Order: sequence, then C-alpha cells, then structure tokens
Amino acid sequence: MPAAANGVAIRVRDLVVGFGGARILDQLSLDVFRGEVLGFVGGSGQGKSVLMRTIIGLVPKREGTIEVSGVDLGRASAEERQATERRWGILFQQGALFSSLTVRQNVQFPMREYLEISDRLLEEIAVAKLEMVGLKADVVDKFPSELSGGMIKRVALARALALDPEIVFLDEPTSGLDPIGAADFDNLIRTLQQTLGLTVFMVTHDLDSLYTICDRIAALADGKVIAAGPMATMLASEHPWLKAYFHGQRGRLAGPAGPARAMGAAGAA
Amino acid sequence: MVEVGQDLVDFARMLGELITVVVRVASRPRTFRLTSTVNQLERVGWRAVPIVLLITFLIGSILAQQGIFHFRKFGADIYVIDMVGVLVLREVGVIIVAVMVAGRSGSAYTAELGSMRMREEVDALRTMGFDPTEVLILPRIVALLIAVPILTFLGSMSAIYGGALVAWGYGGINPDVFLSRLKEAISLDTFEVGMIKAPFMALVIGIVACVEGFKVEGSAESLGLHTTASVVKAIFLVIVFDGLFAMFFASIGK
Repeated sequence: MPAAANGVAIRVRDLVVGFGGARILDQLSLDVFRGEVLGFVGGSGQGKSVLMRTIIGLVPKREGTIEVSGVDLGRASAEERQATERRWGILFQQGALFSSLTVRQNVQFPMREYLEISDRLLEEIAVAKLEMVGLKADVVDKFPSELSGGMIKRVALARALALDPEIVFLDEPTSGLDPIGAADFDNLIRTLQQTLGLTVFMVTHDLDSLYTICDRIAALADGKVIAAGPMATMLASEHPWLKAYFHGQRGRLAGPAGPARAMGAAGAA
Repeated sequence: MVEVGQDLVDFARMLGELITVVVRVASRPRTFRLTSTVNQLERVGWRAVPIVLLITFLIGSILAQQGIFHFRKFGADIYVIDMVGVLVLREVGVIIVAVMVAGRSGSAYTAELGSMRMREEVDALRTMGFDPTEVLILPRIVALLIAVPILTFLGSMSAIYGGALVAWGYGGINPDVFLSRLKEAISLDTFEVGMIKAPFMALVIGIVACVEGFKVEGSAESLGLHTTASVVKAIFLVIVFDGLFAMFFASIGK
C-alpha cells in the first residue's frame, strides 16, 4: 500500500518522556501515515505503551511535538483537543470496558455523550458495531465479567469504533488470545482497517500480527525508533536487537511462507 | 512527616479539582450525571439506613444505661436525659454516622475507583474526552453530601429513641417526662451544631476515598493498602474535624 502518499496521520518529533530521573523516550521521532497499519515493537519496559499513552494524552511529555491529523496537541485549545479525541479510538490491553455497564451500554457510552440521536438509532448502531466485530446480538446485555478474553477485546474494539474514528490505537490486541483467536482478531483488524479506511497504530509483540497485517513496522530501543519500514527492512537490519527479535527461534517459526519468510530463514542461516 | 504533607497536598488538589468541576458543571447543568448520582445515593444513603439506625439505637441505649447507672449514685437520674440529648445531637450522632459511612461507603469508593484504575477504565474514560472527576467523583461526593446529613438526622433520632426506651425500662423514667425534660435540655442550637458538621464530614470522607482510589497502582496489594488507608485516614480526619468544630463552637459560644 502506498501509504506515504496519503499524508501523515500522526507526526511525533523529538519527543522526550521521562519519569523522575529516567528518560524513557529520548528525542523520539515517528510518522504514521494515513491508511496504514503500523506495528510498533520493542523490548519489554522499553516504552512502547508509554509512547502510545503519550500520544493519546495519558502521560505528559517533557519536550517535543505530537501532531495528530495536523493538530499540534501541545498547543491545541480544549475544543480542538476534544475534536481530535473524537477522531481516535483506543483498544487497551485488557479491554478496559466499564465493568459496571453492560456490553450495550459500553458501546453506546461515547455515542450517548457526543451524538444527539434517538435511543432507537443508538440501539441499532450499537448492534451494528457489535456485528461488525463479529459478535452476536445475544451478548448485548451481558456484563464484561461474563465475557471471555477474546470477546472483551471485540467489545472494546466495537467501543473504540463507536464514533467512527479515523485513527485506532491498539495496545497488544492479540495478547492473551489463543493462536486461532489471535489470527481471527488480526483478520478482523485488517478487514475493518480496509473497509473503514482506518489508520492503525498497533503496539504488539506478536510476530504473526507483524507478518500478516502490518504495512510498516517501527522498532523502539533506547528511547528512539531504531528502524521503521516494511518487514523486509526489519529483516535486513543489522541492529543486534532487531536481529535477535526477527531472526530468533520464535521469529523463524512465525510468519507465513513467502519472500519475507524466506528472507528470514536466509538471514538466520 | 513528608507523607502527611503529601496527603495534604493531594487533599487540596482534589478539593480544587472538585471545585473547578462544580463550577463547570454549574454553567452547563446538563453535563451533571444525575443517574449516576441517584444510583450512588441509593447505595450510600438508602441502603445504609437500617445499619445506621441499628447502631445508633444501640449507642443511644448504652449511653442512657451508663448515665443512669452512674448518675443514680448521686440521685441525679433525670440528668441522663440532658446527657443523652446533648451528646447525641451535638457529637455522637454525627460521629457514629461518619465513621459508619467511612467504613461502609468510603472503602467502597476507594475499591471501586482503584479497580477501575487497575483495569485502565479511568484511562479509557479520559481518552474518550471525559473528565474522570466529573464522571466518577462528582456524583459520588454529591451523593455523600446528601446522604450523610440525612443519615445523621435519622441516626440521632434513633439514638434518642434508644435512650428513651432504656430510660423508661431501666431507669423508670416515663416517656412523657423524658420528652418534656428533653425540650428543656436542648435547643435548636444543639441540633444545628450536630447537623452543620454532617456535610463537612461527607466531603472529608468522599475526598479521602477518591484520592486513595486514584492512587491505586497495578497490584491487588496496592488496592488493599489504599482501601485500608482510605478508611483509617477518613476516620482520623472525621475526629480531627470534630475537634476543630468543638473549638470553633466553643469560641463563638454555642
């Protein structure tokens, strides 16, 4: 996909984020192009989630700029910020569904707040969103505690898509799912991304996801993006961490047969 | 010492945030979460009524029994009515209710908010453009502000009722005598001194509970720790505030 031609959805420049004396992200720069699926990888504790949380405003930044859809979030007015927040949806690692609300209420929650629509329409949209993520109508009155891990993620995805966002942030969407469920979820993300024209920023550890649905991959180490590009770039990289990550034992086993797989095998050999 | 200072800062910050939110919501009343407030009110107010009535009834009875037992030695049984009336209306009613509410609802608030933080529900709210103080904290504190004065009133009445029953059964003081003596012993001031403290107690309990809830980190241990801290700090502050009020009322001569 010629993603770069569509313009930049998220532009991060010279971002510094730290807690106390530690600098987690150090002068990090990254572009996410409109209409692409970007997989963001990095070792545990390197700050993958921190970057995501900084972009969506949960962690304060020390320096640098973050632009989402052309809006500089550091300088945006409250209204501009809120308008931007309405254009993104977030899937948290554990789903983060509101445990006191039913599935239906969870999906309707953002719509009820921002859209002035009738209850009937609200109901229809909620059911449509749930069907979109592959859930049947019989789950609508269940509480999150009654759902399996995979269903929670699907409901959370439906909620993230409730306001028809342009950008979707996914924090380890396939973690905690069995391989079949994970593959299904990958397909779901890919299908939705293509039909809805979403830009997807995906923090992940899952090599299968990286191989099958990511247009580009960005790798984080030492607080910086050490490489960004399609899978081939990753596999060709000489950076020791990337070599270990993509050519390690699990790296070789993962991934479909094809040029990428062949290259991986060749690189490891 | 540093910790106490930090607690004060957190308390002040939460109070400030709350005031900001109240001003904002007051200018756009439609953003006030009425459903959530009513739901909380049911939990912290309505459902607390039986246990509050029971405990205050017992406390009132015990006060009366002890009063009669000791006053009888001086032949001053009748003063038990003064003691029960003044003590319950001014101090005991509101304190017992505040302690009950801190243990019952303060801990629930902390545990709820804490587990919502652990599951990233609070983050999810924030990223959807909601202010957690407006959505989660304001309805809870408003509910307490309404519930605690009502519970204090009910509790005080129940305690006096208990006291009257014991005075009648154990002390042989006829209810008619009790009532007429009570009228002389207390004034509206006595009642007001107790009642005016109730909303402040509610605020203290609510703020402490919410501050502690939002401090919960990822672990179950942290949740337990902050729930305990919430109750202990709230009860401690309730007593301290009561002392400050006592000094204040003494200095203005009430």
